[in-house]
Amino acid sequence: MSFLLPCPNCGRRSVYEFRFGGEVRQVPAVDAPPAEWQNYRFNRTNAAGVQTEWWFHRSGCRQWLYAVRNTVTNEVLNAYLPGEKP
Amino acid sequence: MKFHFQGNAVEAKDGDTIAAALYRQGQRIFSRSFKYHRPRGLLCVQGKCPNCLMNVDGIPNIRTCITPVRDGMTVKAQNAFPSLETDWLSITQRFDWLMPVGWYYKTFTQRAMWHAAEPIIRKVAGLGEVLTSETPNYEHSWMHCDRAVIGGGWAGIEAAQAAGARGEQVVLVDDQPALGGQSRYRKRSGQDPSDLIKRLQALPNVRILLDSYCFGLYEGNLLGIVQRNPHSGAAERLVHLRAQHTTVATGAYETPLLFPHHDLPGVMLSTGVLRLLHLYGVRPGERVVVVGAAGASAEVSAELRDAGIVVVATVSPEQMRVASGAPGVKGIQTEIGRFACDLVAVCGPQVPDAGLAAQAGGKFAWSADHGAFLATGLPQHVSLVGAAAGEGLTGVRSPLPLGKRAFVCLCTDVSSQDLCDGIAEGFDHIETLKRYTTATMGPCQGRMCQLSAIGVCAQQTGRSKAETGVTTSRPPNPGITLGALAGPGHHPIRRTPMHYVHERLGAVWMDMSDWRRPRYYRTSSTSAEKECILAEYRAVREGVGIIDVSTLGKLDLRGVDCGKLLDKVYTHRFSDLRAGRVRYALMCDEGGIILDDGTIAHLSDDRYFVTTTTGNLEFVHQWLDWYLAGTGWDVHMANVTAGYGAMNIAGPRSREVLSKLTRCDLTSAAFPYMACREAEVASIPVIMLRIGFVGETGWEIHCPAESAEALWEALLEAGQDSNIRPFGVEAQRLLRLEKRHVIVGVDTDALTNPYEADMGWAVKLEKPDFVGKAFLARVTGDLSRERLIGFVLSGPGLPEDGAAIVADGQLAGRVTSTRHSPARQAAVGLGWVKVSQAREGASVDVRVDGKLVPATITLQPFYDPEGGRLRQ
Repeated sequence: MSFLLPCPNCGRRSVYEFRFGGEVRQVPAVDAPPAEWQNYRFNRTNAAGVQTEWWFHRSGCRQWLYAVRNTVTNEVLNAYLPGEKP
Repeated sequence: MKFHFQGNAVEAKDGDTIAAALYRQGQRIFSRSFKYHRPRGLLCVQGKCPNCLMNVDGIPNIRTCITPVRDGMTVKAQNAFPSLETDWLSITQRFDWLMPVGWYYKTFTQRAMWHAAEPIIRKVAGLGEVLTSETPNYEHSWMHCDRAVIGGGWAGIEAAQAAGARGEQVVLVDDQPALGGQSRYRKRSGQDPSDLIKRLQALPNVRILLDSYCFGLYEGNLLGIVQRNPHSGAAERLVHLRAQHTTVATGAYETPLLFPHHDLPGVMLSTGVLRLLHLYGVRPGERVVVVGAAGASAEVSAELRDAGIVVVATVSPEQMRVASGAPGVKGIQTEIGRFACDLVAVCGPQVPDAGLAAQAGGKFAWSADHGAFLATGLPQHVSLVGAAAGEGLTGVRSPLPLGKRAFVCLCTDVSSQDLCDGIAEGFDHIETLKRYTTATMGPCQGRMCQLSAIGVCAQQTGRSKAETGVTTSRPPNPGITLGALAGPGHHPIRRTPMHYVHERLGAVWMDMSDWRRPRYYRTSSTSAEKECILAEYRAVREGVGIIDVSTLGKLDLRGVDCGKLLDKVYTHRFSDLRAGRVRYALMCDEGGIILDDGTIAHLSDDRYFVTTTTGNLEFVHQWLDWYLAGTGWDVHMANVTAGYGAMNIAGPRSREVLSKLTRCDLTSAAFPYMACREAEVASIPVIMLRIGFVGETGWEIHCPAESAEALWEALLEAGQDSNIRPFGVEAQRLLRLEKRHVIVGVDTDALTNPYEADMGWAVKLEKPDFVGKAFLARVTGDLSRERLIGFVLSGPGLPEDGAAIVADGQLAGRVTSTRHSPARQAAVGLGWVKVSQAREGASVDVRVDGKLVPATITLQPFYDPEGGRLRQ
């Protein structure tokens, strides 16, 4: 795995500069039924295709960001900061 | 120059490789084969075949044909005993019928047989021995460019020159010591790139890496390149080259023709013969037979005659029958007669060296016109030029002697017969045939044998070469040393601001993540560990002690929403924490599992000071940032761990010492337990937290790192009359254990929630929401699993971490921390037991040195259970 990830702050950087934070998922409400929390905590979509992920630019701007990545080809289609428009 | 080979001194000329110098001196056998210990001589002379692998200065499997001689180096043969010329194990050739293809699978059907045979096989077969001591230095470096050109032959030079002239930043990589490719040794080819090379070298935006080979092309156009001897201090440098565009100009290489005993020393590829002759001025032989198609053999014959070497005959591949001689070739049998000779120059099929193109996503397709598999379907950022793309290649008819025995794979001694047997056993797909027979899986990664293996497979299965296809080309190829991959053996060490004071005070060090901390301090009277630790313990319990806690993670949080963030991420409530107060902070994940603990001090309106455990700072920082991301909350977080030094002064006499240096009122009325103040101590601005990990009156003092040494010395001086004593991590661990304070990650694990760890008081379920609440809200009152308990041992000995706790003859739990407690005059510890056994005063047994020793469970601290001493 050596693809480049376009950090919205720093530009295209080697993926080794980042920490992977998993799929971006909807966090259940605090009083959601146990099954929903269990699903959130223990299951992953593990998509073969495009998904939005959390990445942390550890050796750069030290910001969490969203990256839209094709998990099959490792092509990163887009990356943006949380709270900003994709 | 001189070097040592098998104990003898060998003379070398300037520019010689090891193999060239040895060949000049008369050496003809360079290695013994992997399985049958057949003698093998030089073949390709360009680092593509496995025949010249030797041990050089302790490093195994060095390709001596491309490794330049350094004065005084020591070269040893591998896989041969007692010598290359007489290898006793060549007897295995006579028993080849005992070792058919798939021998391992067929023979070792029972585990015991393999265990018996493995040590013997390890001795007999295999290549080289791993160097385990005095490894040389390796380096890593990173480069970026617009265009990487791999291969410095004609096509590569042209591509680099054109790109350079366009103004691109270019890196040109070649595995030879000079540019020019084939033109360097094919003097009659009519190509002279010297003008082109001069123009290339004049371009300032072109960087040329010689003696460097590219072993793989990875995602994102990342090229792995190994530079040999980049300077005298390093054996190899691994270059991570990131290119916008890669031009693969790796050319084509010659491969052997198959006939029985084509692997004899003295049967050499024609390019190898020419390289010996023109690059090193070595006469490859005196009487030569050239085997090859008309055009190619004419060129080689002419070159040899120019050098005054007798060409006995030229033979077409179809006429070739068998080579003979022992240990080297003495003659060949052909359809047109027998010829005595001391060298056979073979003009074999050319194979485009396009593995990099395949790694980039290209597919190989058979081209009959070129007699080669050519890469197609390359991605946009990779292009293929020159012979690597098939340019100038014409098919060479290379008849395969099926039914006769000729070694296809030289690396692992797989013969054409073995391949046919494999196919007969059902492994008729080229990929399964490869895995079953191990053909193409040796050090040369199929460079010498892939085309022949495909030919045998195609012919035997009745399929075409196009249908048969190729095996997958994966990096690294050629192989690289683990040393180059690992790089320099740097191990970073973090030192606290007071490090050198500790050194003067006699610290005995321990490593804690990247940090170095004093374990304990030797004194002038004793260096016995137990005595020192006990004395440090006593100082804290009875007088005053001081410990460096600078390694704690420290975060400075500012902004109006800090309380909101801390409420969300930590289990306790912080938005209602008054300024000037401290609270214990416990962090759980979404499943309610304990991640970290520390303290949070509310310094002033919008300012909080957060400490984390030593090893978890980076994680906690990222975790807080994660929950902050996208919220738009007004929180500014800074990691001030390195900016602050910290020390904890503790013990009944700590107030008397500290008050000498500060105007801050330290009485419990003005500065109670769990309070914090910003003040000055010894005229140094500090943050003081009145907390008590060790269970005595004490202050954790944080100050700017540059003043920490001065503050530490000032406190020691002020404490002289009170017999202040520095204490280390060991004493601290004993002190905290007596107070039953847990260490996250030691006493807790990846399944521990706060209730089980007896820290439910730090969880505020009445908060509307926090990380882990959904799960924690459900585990209250349902502690079905285990509970953290303390125990006091009634017998002698000290259980180890992880020792079993037994109740009623059944395994009930395990020990996590133990120490001998001076306060209880007994061994005490923390451990986990089933909830039903976690009762005050319950009797259990703990395994100590293989015996069960009775112990009593307690849910109270072992020392000062009411915590009165903390609050004094």
